[in-house]
Amino acid sequence: MNDNNKPNNKLHLKITTPIGIFLEKDVDEIVAPGSEGYFGVQYGHTPFLTSIRPGILKIFAQDSEKIYSIHNGFVIVNFDEISILTEIIEKPEDVDKARAKRARERAEKRLKEKKEGTDFRRAEVALRRALARLQVSQK
Amino acid sequence: MPSLKEIKQRISSVTSTRQVTSAMKMVSAAKLQKAQQWILNARPYSDELDKILLSLATRTRRDVHPLLREANPEDVKSIAIIVVTADKGLCGAFNVNIIKKTEQVIKNHKNKNIELICVGKKGGTYFKKRGHTVREEYIDFFNKLKFDHSRDIMNLVTSSFLEGRYDQILIVYNEFKSAIQQNVVEKQLLPLHELEKTDDRFLASYLFEPEETALLEELIKKHLDVQIWRVLLESSSAEQGARMAAMDAATDNADEMIKDLTLEYHHKRQDKITKEIIEVASTAEVIR
Repeated sequence: MNDNNKPNNKLHLKITTPIGIFLEKDVDEIVAPGSEGYFGVQYGHTPFLTSIRPGILKIFAQDSEKIYSIHNGFVIVNFDEISILTEIIEKPEDVDKARAKRARERAEKRLKEKKEGTDFRRAEVALRRALARLQVSQK
Repeated sequence: MPSLKEIKQRISSVTSTRQVTSAMKMVSAAKLQKAQQWILNARPYSDELDKILLSLATRTRRDVHPLLREANPEDVKSIAIIVVTADKGLCGAFNVNIIKKTEQVIKNHKNKNIELICVGKKGGTYFKKRGHTVREEYIDFFNKLKFDHSRDIMNLVTSSFLEGRYDQILIVYNEFKSAIQQNVVEKQLLPLHELEKTDDRFLASYLFEPEETALLEELIKKHLDVQIWRVLLESSSAEQGARMAAMDAATDNADEMIKDLTLEYHHKRQDKITKEIIEVASTAEVIR
């Protein structure tokens, strides 16, 4: 906020994970999978705190668009600063496709069979996670 | 008195032990550096998370969430202690200190039902042998520490806590002070009581999604997660530090021993030569 050198109308994005800072740069817009659905953030957004669910994180900066698969965590928006705290975030090239595919099949099977004692919430989260990974890796 | 040959054998065996200890010392030094880097890397995440959690928790009422609700000391019936030791020995008093401290904690809560969750092979082996209830053991992961490990532990303790199986969760571990100093620390993980009043203006005008209480639970869990993660990292740094110091001392001892043995060897050797010369000389005397 007090950084005078920063170009106007840019968001300062910082993505932090328990094993270090994943990314820190100025961006134009991000779209993230919030717990109540996808949402976009641009410069001047109302201060906002939300949790995120497995999905795709899109980052727009200078006509470029980058995507990542993100699994959980929080987004904190504060006017021109946006901070994402997450445990797992992956670049498309880092996604293990075969593993994601297996995970999707496993989750789908569990959801379809509807056996007793199945933790549906967990299966659903696993399915979402696998789908996000696959979707990201195909782009 | 050992013979010359025996001394020589001992020298060579001490020398090879010294080689092992000094190699282990260097390995530990390298691992220590890596482990310290991990601690530094984890810091921004946990600082940021704590900041949000603190200001959100100060905005809501104290008893709003079971994970924050402090029970009366006399109502605490069942306690889980997470004991963080190493998988391996040869690191001085590192494991012994933890085990002693844990036994003391167990003694302090005599009339309560206590279950142990052991991280690292050493603690689990010790306490199982002595008939303590070991709920779960996590072993063999300090070599390739991953965030999943702390998440597993966190899930186990929070879900058992929320089910009412435990009224309190404690953790005993070695805190990393410096490469040569470790402190044994006992800390209460749940209910969470470390939240002090901070600047609650930070989140004053925020919008929340989902609503605050739901967010709070997620944040508390993440906070615990990161706490345990930091404990694991601290403990693994401390372990490497302790091992480094122990191996350093062992190498010094070996040097000392080699010095003494070599001296003894030369004494013996010279004695033998003198004796032989005397024998030759006296024989010559007799012949003449």
